[in-house]
Amino acid sequence: MMRMLAIGGFLLALALFALLEVLSRREGSRIPSLGVVCAYVMRYEVGPVPVGRIGLFGFWWWLGWHFLAR
Amino acid sequence: MMEQPRELVVEAPRAWDRPVVTVPVLVCISVVGGQFPSFSAAANIWTLGTGGALIWLGLGNRVPRRPAPRRVDRAAGWWLLPITVFGVFEGATFVMSVGDEFPTFSRLADPLLEDPMVRSAAWFAWLAAFWGLVRR
Repeated sequence: MMRMLAIGGFLLALALFALLEVLSRREGSRIPSLGVVCAYVMRYEVGPVPVGRIGLFGFWWWLGWHFLAR
Repeated sequence: MMEQPRELVVEAPRAWDRPVVTVPVLVCISVVGGQFPSFSAAANIWTLGTGGALIWLGLGNRVPRRPAPRRVDRAAGWWLLPITVFGVFEGATFVMSVGDEFPTFSRLADPLLEDPMVRSAAWFAWLAAFWGLVRR
């Protein structure tokens, strides 16, 4: 029962990601695509340090290492 | 009188920076990566090496980037919905830590990723998204 709840929850989250991406690509949509949101986050800088870029790259690097090497 | 730039620099598109080149390269890296089992030294080296190379490319000015938006619409907040749903379930399963009865996302993914084909596909998805971030 609890296992199905977890699987359902994760599938719901993935379905919501997919739905929002589809909605964002419709003509005249106000919702930006995930790529645009990531690009906006990556613009964030503290002084000369591209904190947003480093943070997102670091997160994605860790994610790949976690799933594909651990 | 406004000062004019002495020269305009227009970056020529690089021959290798096209999908017909990058996609096969990412496929090759993914197929190799998909052969390495979890917890192997080769898998660690391959992941850290490819990721490190992409970060090196992404933090320098070696790859042309698409222009980033200066601001986004408030509707971008909708993205917090799937992130929150995922975070709640990942947090709950991680904190309860009862194994397969209420598994974390990575615990659910592990059996799927044991198949080299699925693992290679996951590798490709990871690398393609990483390359997309580098270009942003």
